[in-house]
Amino acid sequence: MTSSVKNETNSSWWKDLYNRFIAGANKATLAIEDGINALITSKYNPLYYHGALPQFYLWVLFLSGLLLFAYYIPTIDNAYFSQKLINAWTSVQYITDTLPFGAVIRGIHRYSGDAMVIFIFLHAIRVWFTDRYRQYRWVQWVSGVVLLLMVLFIGQTGYYLVWDERSLVLTRMTVSAFDALPLIGEPLKAWFLNGSTITNLTLSNFLFIHIGLSFALLFVLWLHYVRMTRPVLTPPPAVNFILVGIILLVVYLAPITSGRMANLNSQPNAYDMDWFFLWNYWLMAHMPLALFWLLMIAAAVIATVLPWLVKNVSPPVIPAEVVIDKCTGCSLCYRDCPYQAIEMVPAPAGSRFKLLATVKTARCSACGLCVGACAFDAIDLPQLLDTTVTAQIKSLVEAK
Amino acid sequence: MTAGKTVITLICERAADLNSLLDQKGSLSDLPDVHVVKFPCSGMIQPLMIEAALKAGAGGVIVCGCQIGDCFYREGNKMIKERLLGERPPGLKKTVDRRRVMALWLSRRQKERFLTEAREFVVQMKKIDELEGSAQPAVASK
Repeated sequence: MTSSVKNETNSSWWKDLYNRFIAGANKATLAIEDGINALITSKYNPLYYHGALPQFYLWVLFLSGLLLFAYYIPTIDNAYFSQKLINAWTSVQYITDTLPFGAVIRGIHRYSGDAMVIFIFLHAIRVWFTDRYRQYRWVQWVSGVVLLLMVLFIGQTGYYLVWDERSLVLTRMTVSAFDALPLIGEPLKAWFLNGSTITNLTLSNFLFIHIGLSFALLFVLWLHYVRMTRPVLTPPPAVNFILVGIILLVVYLAPITSGRMANLNSQPNAYDMDWFFLWNYWLMAHMPLALFWLLMIAAAVIATVLPWLVKNVSPPVIPAEVVIDKCTGCSLCYRDCPYQAIEMVPAPAGSRFKLLATVKTARCSACGLCVGACAFDAIDLPQLLDTTVTAQIKSLVEAK
Repeated sequence: MTAGKTVITLICERAADLNSLLDQKGSLSDLPDVHVVKFPCSGMIQPLMIEAALKAGAGGVIVCGCQIGDCFYREGNKMIKERLLGERPPGLKKTVDRRRVMALWLSRRQKERFLTEAREFVVQMKKIDELEGSAQPAVASK
């Protein structure tokens, strides 16, 4: 008995702390948004397009990646080292040094990836701080976590493709990390290297993972968007120009170069850090591999179940209800519902109308947009009837 | 300041935070004529409600949602904005006096802005009332 009481006080203590943190974060977010609105008006406020920003950079990455793909050769072949060698590293050098604007395209591809990660985090933090990730939005949150993990892994495979010394270190580190996993370690290693050692087939596998997973992103993005009516996919053109401009500026100021060509007989152990994609290799180098995996898996699991960890902060959603004998099947609520929570079904036999609106309760946010859309008084929020509101308005006016 | 007609404010509970400005009856302490009715989202406001308020004799109606682009429920403020502008059904009846309806899009922190806008709106509504009040007898005497 006493222990359960103690547990309760404990949990309420950290809940209280968490709630206070979120309340403070929410206030700070609002203050920042107001500041940006005052500067550049709400129309161009990037915080109102935070989901569209990574999506925009995805298109930039697809396009620049397509151009790089045209000249990239996924081999490590060192057999003709003394003669004119053609492999991944030299093809990247060719793109960078010889092709007109090749270095620019390569720079755009790299820095757009970095920018995408920044904006994905901005997006995730904003929906977290403004409480827009739970309940009826859980599909968006969970698919978002999957998307982030995919993007991070795709970015890392991009670093292997250059095939300089860093690529070699990262490949070997990944292999030893897989080695540390029980049971699935061995098959993962074989899948990753496309064999038992690093060969030409390894690099073609990296290229396949890099491009294949990028296209798989589109499928998960579909899941990400499927419960949203009219998702905001593109920022205003003016914002797009600025986003590309920033990338071009960074490309000009800090051009991308490769390290020395990877040599399988060497043991390079130092490389330039990239904090957007390679932070987990830093962790890997600074702790036992078992702890590293434990941390990674725990972080992924906590991020995934976050919507269910935070309960009782706001009351449960009481979904909208259709008044069956008033609904005319006009579809206005179905068109305006922002969460695809209303479905038009054939009206029951004997009805004067063809269709009837029905509410998918699990998707409903109880926002009342359908009530505002209905000119026939045929859909209601049970906790706030529009007839009650109208009566209240009338009594307020007539009280004078 | 003579008491004018009632002004009804239909406001999203996530838009400008008026809680500190309200008295116990739910009207603004500074402007007792202005009564506030809260909604979970401005998208729930029916044009019928605005018509009902004006028909019952309200001086005017203020509709207030969050900053355009920042609806908690994604599109609520855009929906009511488009409904008021007649770009999305159901809209306001043509007979509704457009001068007596004001829409504001304010974030949670902008209660001062709400107050200044509401104050000006109340003055405007009184002017309209006076104009119409003085115009009607003149028409009758012809």
